[in-house]
Amino acid sequence: MSSRKRWGAGLAGIVVAGAVAVGVAVAPTAAAAPPLPPVSPEALVASVITAKPGPMNGTVTVDNELGLPALPNAPQLGNGTQTARVWSGGDGKGRVALPSSDGERTLVSDGTTRWSYDSADRTVTKAPANAGGPPSRPDVPGGVDPRTDPAGAATSMIADLRKTSTVTVDGTEEVAGRAAYQLVLTPLPTERTLLREVRVSVDAEKRLPLQLTVLATGSAQPALTIGFSDITFGPQDPSLFTFTPPPGTTVKDAPAPDGRGGPPTGAQAPKTVGDGWDRVVVAQKPATPPNQPGQPGRPAGAPDLSSLGTPVSGPWGQGRLITTTVATAIITNDGRIAAGAVPEQVLTEALGR
Amino acid sequence: MSTTVATRGRAATRTAAPLGRLLAAELRWVLRRPRTLVVFGLLALVPIAIAIGIATTGGPSAGRGPGLVAQVAGNGFVLPVVALGLSLTLLLPLAVASAGADAIAGEAATGTLRGLLIAPVGRLRLVVMKAAGVVTVAVLAVLVVAVVGMIAGTVVVGGAQGTLVTLSGTTLGVGEAIGRIALVAAWTVGQLLAIGAVALAISTLTEHPLVVLACVLGGLIVFGVLSAIPSLEWLQPLLLTTGFTAGTDVLRDPLPLDGLVSSTVRALVYVVLGLGVTLWRMRRRDA
Repeated sequence: MSSRKRWGAGLAGIVVAGAVAVGVAVAPTAAAAPPLPPVSPEALVASVITAKPGPMNGTVTVDNELGLPALPNAPQLGNGTQTARVWSGGDGKGRVALPSSDGERTLVSDGTTRWSYDSADRTVTKAPANAGGPPSRPDVPGGVDPRTDPAGAATSMIADLRKTSTVTVDGTEEVAGRAAYQLVLTPLPTERTLLREVRVSVDAEKRLPLQLTVLATGSAQPALTIGFSDITFGPQDPSLFTFTPPPGTTVKDAPAPDGRGGPPTGAQAPKTVGDGWDRVVVAQKPATPPNQPGQPGRPAGAPDLSSLGTPVSGPWGQGRLITTTVATAIITNDGRIAAGAVPEQVLTEALGR
Repeated sequence: MSTTVATRGRAATRTAAPLGRLLAAELRWVLRRPRTLVVFGLLALVPIAIAIGIATTGGPSAGRGPGLVAQVAGNGFVLPVVALGLSLTLLLPLAVASAGADAIAGEAATGTLRGLLIAPVGRLRLVVMKAAGVVTVAVLAVLVVAVVGMIAGTVVVGGAQGTLVTLSGTTLGVGEAIGRIALVAAWTVGQLLAIGAVALAISTLTEHPLVVLACVLGGLIVFGVLSAIPSLEWLQPLLLTTGFTAGTDVLRDPLPLDGLVSSTVRALVYVVLGLGVTLWRMRRRDA
């Protein structure tokens, strides 16, 4: 009997050890708040603007609970978790690998050329990297160039945000094994928005944003988390930042960018209604090409939105309402699109203007 | 069979180091079974079938379309990796599970287990001997797929100028390509050992080898169903099949090791659990 008990205990021990081992092998470890010297939001943002994190590599995980409708030709936008492996040379060179279960997309920037390789159809697309560093950002509030006056830019940026939000550095946390400050933006109570909080974790040492978390009202779980799940700073193998098209692949040049970042041809410039968290973008859909009278006009490859959402009507006409946890959009039957991180009523008002 | 029992009997009367002879007898016994050889033959057909399919339908559409099999076109070194990945879903587990089923339940069904238990061979030694038979089948099965895959990939499909084109668009030389194939083969053996250990454990609980086969293959299918249910996502880290896709990682460059390591750790846990149950049952078994 005692031998049987001993063996029973042994078996239980094996089972417990196995369960613990599986748990340790896969479960993320709970992060404790590391002690860090206090910092003001202005100083934190200024240090992020001036930061030179240098070469690093890591894994970026996107945890998407936005509740976007599943689009037939863009399934990657649906809820779920995605990972990307990134390498950065710290000097404009970089490599990104987007693995899927049976393939991979690879993006390599070697300083002069940006290469894109898709294993599914074995095609290489190459485009010249834009020379002269990143383009200046004219939309920085206050008109202060962050490259020449980072502290001033940070102060004016925070001051602008404070008109509509509470900006705080809310303690510290550990992200990807590194101590990080948490910059928290909370909308003021007067803001009519679906968002509850936006958190940016900034690495305490390198001042690199490590994680972005978006929390929506009415849910304890983040609607969107983008961030490093592991990161290592240090010199990288230079061969990572070169790309030679492998044998048996087709190489093509990327189409020349026309009006990069601008609206598609045929569309009017979108206008914004309101500011701060309840900003609504109202845009006009591109006109229907005359040779396709039955089809709603959409650029090739863009998802077909005509069958999504629920039908709604209002003083502005009739259309379809698409709701997600963080944003709402109305597509009217006369081709207007209104979208924002706001409830439906705010969109209705914006369309009525 | 009688010669085997006689061999074991002679070996057991010795007091020193009969383990080598025990193992040799067990391996002869396992590898002489026609069903083992038939499964090896079936496994060899997997890469050959893929190679012929690619060679006859490949050409202008080479590399088009989804799926890993399309990656084989014009890229022969991928063939063993793809063949191992495809066989790991059912055919390789079948080979290991049938070896585990025959090892104990099969001997119990034919009545030869009694002789083994009566013989003055330690129970631990008996389990080691039986486990060695299962390990041998797992290693040989993987080797058959990998080696036939490499030959078929080189001869029928042909390499991309003697290199392996990874999913990341880089090219690996012959040496590194063979290293990657060896890595995925070793990893596959690790996953199969987990299945073999569970098969041995079930084998000690029944006298019908078919029950073992049904439990192991049925269990793999149930695991596959469970992992497809979104609300049971929390269960995924516990399922052995969750890590089965990690073999594809050897085709990426730079090689990501976390998937391979975590699935190997998971397999080790299954090995420990399976061998623990096997030992626990065999220590107390009297017939």
